[in-house]
Amino acid sequence: MKFIFADSLDHVDPGYDFLRDRYSEGRTPYWDDAYPHEIMGYAPYKGMLVSRGIVGGVAVGGKYTEAQAMRFRRVGAREFLRLDKPEFEHLPIFGDCGAFTYHKEDKPPYTPEDTAEFYDDARFTHGCSVDHIIFDFDEDLKGMEGGTQEARRRFEITLENASAFRSATAHMSGRFTPMGVIQGWSPGSMAEGARRLVAMGYDYLALGGTVPLKASQIKSCLAAIRDIVPASTRIHILGFAKADEIDTFGSFNITSFDTTSPLIRAFKDAKANYYLPSKGGKLDYYTAIRVPQALENPKLMRLAKRGALHQETLVEMEKKALSALRAYDRGEAVLDETLDTVIAYSTPAVTGSPVEELPDAKAVKDLRERYKRTLIDRPWKKCSCAICSALSIEVVLFRASNRNKRRGIHNLGVYNALVDQLPSNSDNNDHTQISGNPSETERNAHRSFVCSESV
Amino acid sequence: MTILKFPAIRAKQSETHTVLSFAAKASDLKNFAVIERVARDEGGALSGFQRPQIAGHIREIRDYLEKPEAILPNPIVVAFTTGITISEEAADGRCMVEIDAMGGAPGLVVDGQQRLTALSQVEEKDFQVFVSAIVCRDEEELRRQFVLINNTRPLPKSLIYELLPTVRGLPRRLGDRSVAADLAARLNYDDGSSLKGKIYQHTNPTGIIRDTAIQRVVINSMSDGVMRELIREPDGADLSFALVSDFYRAVQTVFLNEWEGHTPKTSRLVHGAGIMSLGYVMEVLALLDGARTVHDFSRGLACLVGNTAWTSGEWNFGENDRRHWKSVQNVNRDIVTLAQYLIGIVRADVKRRRADDVEPKQASM
Repeated sequence: MKFIFADSLDHVDPGYDFLRDRYSEGRTPYWDDAYPHEIMGYAPYKGMLVSRGIVGGVAVGGKYTEAQAMRFRRVGAREFLRLDKPEFEHLPIFGDCGAFTYHKEDKPPYTPEDTAEFYDDARFTHGCSVDHIIFDFDEDLKGMEGGTQEARRRFEITLENASAFRSATAHMSGRFTPMGVIQGWSPGSMAEGARRLVAMGYDYLALGGTVPLKASQIKSCLAAIRDIVPASTRIHILGFAKADEIDTFGSFNITSFDTTSPLIRAFKDAKANYYLPSKGGKLDYYTAIRVPQALENPKLMRLAKRGALHQETLVEMEKKALSALRAYDRGEAVLDETLDTVIAYSTPAVTGSPVEELPDAKAVKDLRERYKRTLIDRPWKKCSCAICSALSIEVVLFRASNRNKRRGIHNLGVYNALVDQLPSNSDNNDHTQISGNPSETERNAHRSFVCSESV
Repeated sequence: MTILKFPAIRAKQSETHTVLSFAAKASDLKNFAVIERVARDEGGALSGFQRPQIAGHIREIRDYLEKPEAILPNPIVVAFTTGITISEEAADGRCMVEIDAMGGAPGLVVDGQQRLTALSQVEEKDFQVFVSAIVCRDEEELRRQFVLINNTRPLPKSLIYELLPTVRGLPRRLGDRSVAADLAARLNYDDGSSLKGKIYQHTNPTGIIRDTAIQRVVINSMSDGVMRELIREPDGADLSFALVSDFYRAVQTVFLNEWEGHTPKTSRLVHGAGIMSLGYVMEVLALLDGARTVHDFSRGLACLVGNTAWTSGEWNFGENDRRHWKSVQNVNRDIVTLAQYLIGIVRADVKRRRADDVEPKQASM
């Protein structure tokens, strides 16, 4: 089972100055930045996926600048993602259309032909057919029953596009693997979609529209699909949001799945921001400590605009919170004092009001408890990946992209190692049995797998 | 120290106001002047007037102030309604100013809050700045001064861009623009340029092609295209100049009738959309076809003849997107649509020519 990382320009400035909070002198975005596989020193995934919706263009405004989107097509995905070095050359690059970016449209803004051209120009190794998301999933429907008119319309669009996509990519055979996307409103309709894709000649299917589904619902779909397609048919799960439950998907013989979840949760999740392997071959989660940028955080900016907070005071509090945390990391400050300083500053940004106005608020108390656990356990000391070793406590500070994304990249490493350890991957996990620094007992406790492949 | 004294100079400007100038250290300023941001109390009454700090702007100023050669000739304007006394006034305006900061800072910063904030973050030096003090009757008068002082008109962008290449030590945001503006100016004034005299600039108002369009082509190429490599060569600036000049010379040759004597209103070829989308065609030809000269580019562009609607007819961007030649606008969406359309044709042609070639070219598709 291959973990494919869905990228959206997730690179960081390797020379970022964490004390002054500045980009490195003269840094050019993208060019001087490092992708996860560059900053970690190894690829914390088994391939990358780039969505057409992220690249953007005429139909959908993406995340790339116009000049970047043009270059992506000119030089190709591998050079753009800097996977063109010998050590990364074997990694596949998947493409998909990013159906969520156009789910409100009547039909997809892309044609099978222009999508084939996009994959061909950028030289993807794998690419998904042009699908259209179906909502209103009902697990209890049997076979092809149910399904609104709209669901059935989208079902047919997805399959028609898949058929045309196969012809449009035929000339690329040998260097490109087309993937047929499954959309449906029930396990039975997904299975029927899969059956028709196999009949078209697809031997690699991609299950789409799983983001709103519960893990159990995805499993019933997979079960229905597996029942109907040959055992040799490969299956990919697109945009797999339930990435943390991957260990329970072993029986479905999944070839690959893509997710951004370990990266995104570093800065989008309320609690689970920092991953650490736990002893039972699972994950432990820690809450990152919010020290927002006094003059840039939107919530604080709003409070300042209303006149509820004085920016000069905020800047002072921010400074104190940062130095308290760094002193704590060096063993020069005690836990409670550090927490007090941090909470006093965190509160306005997290709750929207100054701490003295709500001394007993439950939200603040919970936050304090979670921060306390993070500070007491010092999880960053237990990880020996390139990021944690270099950053120390900065990695658990919830503060702007360079810290948040680095924490996310660390999570990718932990997650990738976890996937490697799954029983279904046991045949290829020899190289992941690597320990941290053996002289450190703390790290030894986690030696079953650490987030760096080489120390 | 709660009473601060400064030697000052007073200007005779108005019977109702006192206006003074003196030099003070940033750390002193912090003691006698505050930045009062606009806010409303629970009853909705307005107080203060300043907008919040802008982090990026402050960072830029701070970067500059940290340099040893930094100067800040513009004064910080501080208004007082109380707490300020003038003494020992001489006929020539020289006087002493006393500011009473016993009960807190009496002055309000009317202009220069971002500069002042940046100053307070520069720890290495205690910079002296000029302070212009206005003594106002009341809060209302003070707010009026704020509105008047901050309601200035920014300089026209095309003038700023034209000045940029002559200025050094600019923030990076302007630095990229500066390189592009420099090349655009050279394209406009160099005798060997195919665009000589044709680019609109502040100093060349009769130019036809927008300076910002040609600058965008250069900026895109410098950031993500062929000029990124070219500019690193020892004669990088010349190579870049020659590339753009040769490319647009080829454009003029291939589309002579749509170029000659036209304005953006009568031909989309000399319009921002045409210039910028063709910039991407230049990139494709340079990378995939190895094109560098007028001859190379003309050969690569020839396939477009008969497929364009620069001055009449309609563009055929696909089944559901056929549009009148004029409806291509100078907006990103249209530029990308047009560029993709042109590139599609050019790419197919490059492939075809390569297949026809007895000896295949080296550049890989």
